[in-house]
Amino acid sequence: MPDDSLAEGVVARDEIAALAELFDRFEFALDPLSREADEAESQFNDQIENLFESRVKPALPEHSPVSLPVFRRHVCHLCREFLRKNRP
Amino acid sequence: MKSCLSFEEVLAVGEPRLAEMQHVGDIFADGESAEACAAFTQQVRNVEAAVLHSYAIAATVARKADSLEEVAEVWKKMSTFCHSALAILARLKDKYPHCGTTELYDRVLDYKLACDKRYQGALEEKQCLTIALPRGLLPEMR
Repeated sequence: MPDDSLAEGVVARDEIAALAELFDRFEFALDPLSREADEAESQFNDQIENLFESRVKPALPEHSPVSLPVFRRHVCHLCREFLRKNRP
Repeated sequence: MKSCLSFEEVLAVGEPRLAEMQHVGDIFADGESAEACAAFTQQVRNVEAAVLHSYAIAATVARKADSLEEVAEVWKKMSTFCHSALAILARLKDKYPHCGTTELYDRVLDYKLACDKRYQGALEEKQCLTIALPRGLLPEMR
């Protein structure tokens, strides 16, 4: 099934699809203590931070309440929705 | 026949394992005897299997959940299950020091922390969604 449930944004839908794959590998890991889950979480966090610093922060209005942790939680939420619709 | 089980019912399947471990743990006066350790080691294996299996089901249920409230509820219940196992193990790990008890205690504690992290994450996610992102920052779900 094509992953066509997202419209484009400052963060592209392909990037969300890739982040959702990582999110799936740690948030819903059957063994939360596995090395794979640990590595996926670390990659996910690195990519979120990179996205935030390089593209999101510059696009935010002055005094925006959107911090890195807030952005991260929004992405997590989008990943949940993405997985529910595309990887049931 | 098509049947569905709630996550509560799944956890209920594992609860007798905890009760049995407590029962067997209390039977022996000397936890370091060979007979006692053999019996308790079997209980340790059973409870480990129940925790790991229940956690895997919790992750599967949380993945399919329709709301963050449902996600939080699943992890809270799984954390409570781990807490119940830890309470029994904490009481028995000194009595049965050579039967895998300490190792299981540490492992269940790690699983409980994983549940708590996901529970807390769901609550934080819900809270963060009250802060709107500027439109167009993230792709919208169609």
